[in-house]
Amino acid sequence: MSAKTTQATSDNPSEPATIKAPDHASALYLIAAIAGNTFREAVRDRVLYNLLLFALLLIGGAIFLGELSGGQEAKIIVDLGLSATLLFGVFIAIFVGVGLVYKEIERRTLYAILSKPVSRGRFLFGKYLGLCLTLLVNVLVMGVGVSLALAYVTKGLNPLIFSIWPAVFLIYFELAIITGVALLFSSFSSPALSALLTFLVFIIGHLSADLKSFASSLGGTTARWFFNALYYLLPNLAHYSFITPAAHGQTPAPGSFLMALLYGCVYVAVLLTAATLIFNQRNFK
Amino acid sequence: MMRDRGLLIKGIAVILLGLAAVIGLSRWSDLHHKDFSSASSQEEQLYLQAKTVKRLSLAFNGLAADWYWMRSLQYVGRKVIKYEETQPGQQGLNDLGALDLRLLPSLLRIATTLDPQFIAPYEYGAMILPTFNRDEAIALLQSGIAENPGAWRLYQHLGYVYWQGQEYTKASETYSAGAKLPGAPKWMAEMGARTAAEGGSRGAAREMYQHLYDESTDEKVKELLARRLMQVDSFEERDRIRIVLAQYVQQFGKCPASWRSVAANLQRAGLAINPATGEPLDPSGAPYALISNKCEVDLRLDSRVPYK
Repeated sequence: MSAKTTQATSDNPSEPATIKAPDHASALYLIAAIAGNTFREAVRDRVLYNLLLFALLLIGGAIFLGELSGGQEAKIIVDLGLSATLLFGVFIAIFVGVGLVYKEIERRTLYAILSKPVSRGRFLFGKYLGLCLTLLVNVLVMGVGVSLALAYVTKGLNPLIFSIWPAVFLIYFELAIITGVALLFSSFSSPALSALLTFLVFIIGHLSADLKSFASSLGGTTARWFFNALYYLLPNLAHYSFITPAAHGQTPAPGSFLMALLYGCVYVAVLLTAATLIFNQRNFK
Repeated sequence: MMRDRGLLIKGIAVILLGLAAVIGLSRWSDLHHKDFSSASSQEEQLYLQAKTVKRLSLAFNGLAADWYWMRSLQYVGRKVIKYEETQPGQQGLNDLGALDLRLLPSLLRIATTLDPQFIAPYEYGAMILPTFNRDEAIALLQSGIAENPGAWRLYQHLGYVYWQGQEYTKASETYSAGAKLPGAPKWMAEMGARTAAEGGSRGAAREMYQHLYDESTDEKVKELLARRLMQVDSFEERDRIRIVLAQYVQQFGKCPASWRSVAANLQRAGLAINPATGEPLDPSGAPYALISNKCEVDLRLDSRVPYK
């Protein structure tokens, strides 16, 4: 962290120094510094090693699927590659996300950070952005891997190579939400419980259509209200499920894509605000 | 230092011994449970409904559809291999009805429920299901058309299934409906008219199989259609052979004892002949069988031309 951000200021040398709140520019600098550190830490923790496994999976798939798929190699490469991108991303978001705050507390580095003019909210936001950056690198490299595998199996430039990218970005938005959920749970719970709860949210998020139809099929008003509330309050991750149509060369309508982006931004804002409120209440003494 | 090295060697020895034991136990298990494993593959069942699988697959429904698609191919492939092992000299693909493909409709149904836009399972179902479950083939294609109303190829396949069941009016209507879709080739409308006029004629059959063959991207489907085209050719060849045999009977008052006696006439009739034996060859290259007591020609068991 830069010394610039940690200076204590006082006009009168006899008075105890008070910590001045940073202006907007230095606040952004602080957040960026925390995000950068989180990214570096993830790289040091060999989180991106999963790319190696991903590459092996795709190379294996590209070589062997020709024998098994009855001429459907391109579709299967897209399904396999994008599903692996989502699955690996979810695991990173959950298992790294739940440890973001916990590790800082356990190592007691949090005290050093919070003793500086860094609000708890900015600390969380920086941590969140750092993991999102890690996931972005991960998702982009995997997207390029899928494109290369497609070029290999189709022996040239196939339209699918370009049409998969909106689906890749939708996967990234979904991962950004999952990271927010993991951060929220980790702000008040243990890593194991946070991971479990986040994974459940991921599952329920993809079953949201069932929640709605279940609510409409119920007779009781309270039960219907309860399931409707669950449907609207839990993240509707179906907005980001575009792997299957992408494998058929389809791209999302611009309206749906922007709606998914907006929904993700709003949902993440809510999650980070809730996480900050809870984190602000925690006593680290 | 020496103690550490000793520990390392012991550790490696334990790992190697453990792995050897695991391999030995697996081999023993394979040998002693052989009957169980083969029985389980025969009796395998699908425990999950298509909609349940879709729900459980979360965001991975496309990948799950691919899995069920490949499982369908493996399932048919295994059955063909098994059939050919138990019925030496017979090609399993010649009579798909004998293969007992009872799980195939469910496998294809799950694949298409998971990914309704996945056209390959519909095409595969249109080729294979009618041999043992025509209603399921029609239902699968109708659901495919409902999910993909712009896919004229599904109309082509549904028309084919109706045509195969000798429902020529329905076949014609289906072709005509498909012909109206954007991107449908001109011959779809022509097939509609031809099916209505000629029904099950060989000319209509040849055209139908040829179009299906040209449009299909699936190698397995292409293989089946190539055999169907061979079958149409073989029907015409057998008609020509029968004429040659009838002429021989008329001339000599008896059936030829071997193909060599009529080899020259068969060659003149435009048939491919094995020069060494004089036997006429079917489109797959196998010789035709001469049934002397009936003075009739037939396919041999080892022929790749479909019998039915």
